Amino acid sequence: MRNKLVSLLLCVSMLLTLCVGLASAEGEPVTITYAVWDSNQAALLQTVADEFHQANPNITIQIQVNAWSDYWTALEAAATGGSLPDTFWMHSNNIYYYGSNDQLLDLTDYIAKSDLVDLKNYPQGLDDIYKINGKQYAIPKDYDTIALWYNKTLFDAAGLSYPDDTWTWDTLRSAAKTLTKADGSQYGFCAGLHNQEGYYNFVYQNGGEILNADGKSGYDEDATIGGIKEYFSYVWDGLSPAIYDDSARAEAIENGLCAMGLFGSWNLSGFAANDFMKANFNCAVLPAGPDGKRASIFNGLGNAISATCKHPDEAWKWVEYLSSEAGQKRQAELGIAISAFNGTADAWTAAYPGFNVKCYIDMVSYAQIRPYTNQTSVWEDKAYELLKGAYAGSDDLTAACKNVASMMNDAIAAEK
Amino acid sequence: MSQFPAAERKARPTQRQWNEWRWAWGLIAPTMIGLIVLNIIPIFQTVYMSFFKSGAFGKGNLYVGLENYRTLLADTQVWSATRNTLVYTLCVVGIGTVLALLLAVALNGRLRGKGVYRTLYFIPMVATPAAVTLIWKWLYNYRFGLFNHLLSVFGIAPVNWIDDPNVAMISIVIVGIWSTLGYSMVLLIAGLQEIPRDYYEAAQIDGASAQKQFFHITVPLVSPTLFFVLVTSVITAMQVFDIVYMMLGVTSPSYDATVSLVYLFYNNSFKYSNKGYGSAVIMVLLVIILLITALQNRMQKKWVHYQ
Repeated sequence: MRNKLVSLLLCVSMLLTLCVGLASAEGEPVTITYAVWDSNQAALLQTVADEFHQANPNITIQIQVNAWSDYWTALEAAATGGSLPDTFWMHSNNIYYYGSNDQLLDLTDYIAKSDLVDLKNYPQGLDDIYKINGKQYAIPKDYDTIALWYNKTLFDAAGLSYPDDTWTWDTLRSAAKTLTKADGSQYGFCAGLHNQEGYYNFVYQNGGEILNADGKSGYDEDATIGGIKEYFSYVWDGLSPAIYDDSARAEAIENGLCAMGLFGSWNLSGFAANDFMKANFNCAVLPAGPDGKRASIFNGLGNAISATCKHPDEAWKWVEYLSSEAGQKRQAELGIAISAFNGTADAWTAAYPGFNVKCYIDMVSYAQIRPYTNQTSVWEDKAYELLKGAYAGSDDLTAACKNVASMMNDAIAAEK
Repeated sequence: MSQFPAAERKARPTQRQWNEWRWAWGLIAPTMIGLIVLNIIPIFQTVYMSFFKSGAFGKGNLYVGLENYRTLLADTQVWSATRNTLVYTLCVVGIGTVLALLLAVALNGRLRGKGVYRTLYFIPMVATPAAVTLIWKWLYNYRFGLFNHLLSVFGIAPVNWIDDPNVAMISIVIVGIWSTLGYSMVLLIAGLQEIPRDYYEAAQIDGASAQKQFFHITVPLVSPTLFFVLVTSVITAMQVFDIVYMMLGVTSPSYDATVSLVYLFYNNSFKYSNKGYGSAVIMVLLVIILLITALQNRMQKKWVHYQ
């Protein structure tokens, strides 16, 4: 009997301490989760998060990283289960799907009340990506374009002059031929099966389009097929290895296998940390298409807050800082990405003195927004499935592109 | 009513019986609740889901009747995935179980350091499949992998282990066998130890060779364990996902030659956000597993000998 009494007392005292703990938790620190898909950026963002924590000791930022392809799967599962991270990266591919289904916090009022955030400070059109029916669901974090990377050492050895703004498709092809070795130990170009860092650029340089003005697929247009054909033909002609895996493209130039390749500005923090890249590589604007047309795929991402976030004020404070001039400048200085805030891009350029990264910013004037619809992710990867046979040279490209077009039109028709 | 007073009295449980029931149900409950919540309810939810076109974030599902099943019948990818899954299962269970039985017999005998071997073979079972597959992927790498390096030492041309559609399935089967071998082996060793030594002694006195002993004593007497190993490894192999998922993505030219039903289900449900169609795809797997398991139960009378 006495034992029972003792254990009862112990239980009561435990409950009491629990209650006290909960009561005092109100003024206690808040942890805000921040989900991102780029591990290179995450390492540098930690610095920003630490500095934010020092200025706001009651808010701790916890960064969660998931690679691009898993990021959206995990995010959708979290959204379905009602447990989205408090704050996270949003992309043009998915903004409509999340925004129109009430998964994101409407930031319009927060922005109106804020002294630090004004959407006028971002390049025109970039903030519109995240606007649905007049409501702002995310604030631009950065933007990116695609540039041509080349191995200086291999160019010197072959006696070729470096790529610059005089380059065209023909110059690129003849340089790739010179740099390709017959024994397969070295290729002139890296034409991996990729859209944004690959054939999309060639499509727009050729005057083609992925989406037409009516919101239908442009894959069945001649100019589009011509652009894809030019890009794939590097593989067909043996000037590029056939690369299907996303991360294998960067490996191919980091190992000296390929002398040139197309890479987005978000790769900079990774490239700058690689000694081989620092010693041998530099970047230039993309070559011009057959009619002198220039294009580079332009995109960016935004910071969003989930609709189910339990501490919206603290989450807003974090997103507000990231979007403010100070936060955007800090992001650029650290070389995380090209900050979206007007006038802060130079700080990003200065973060990478070893490379000609200014070319990324030079291309903005003729850059082409990465094509997107309400549910881009549904047709984007299926396009790979349908194109890979043609890429490998076993299927007819025109037929494959027509298949992509009809698949894409079906997918777009099924969107709400 | 009054005809059965005795029965009625018997039906009323005694205090002791109450206690036993309480304990029995209490002890079974965690497993039962787990099974019902995590397995049985989801099965019915999946069946239900397969008649719908799923809306965004699990809301606004639209009833479409048999539409998903109609699409499925015309979808060549579903049938190649069914073929891939069956080929994988046949190879992994077939080759894997024979190897496991041979190893079990070898490691059950008088062998120096057999504890070390048993541990070595069992380690893959304990390791995380994702980590294991990543290491295999590195071994298989076309340009920098260890296998192709070894081949080049002997002057053999490199093999594209992952991206060649004709080779990829073999590469995946190798990983599949390697990672399940230890588990089947340990179960079979346990089965072998049940066999009384006298049988072998008697057979030796009668002059039976080692081969004869294996086929006439070992195999029949280990057959109940063998049956269990076969049933469970067929079900596990039919559900193969992680190896294929980690090894290659939709962009790989080997995708159509290796995609399994579960991987296809995953891609349709989560990658392409079409949970209704994904559910219909996985119904194919459910039906196949049910058929195979029923068939195995029927066949067992022919070859399984319970002592």
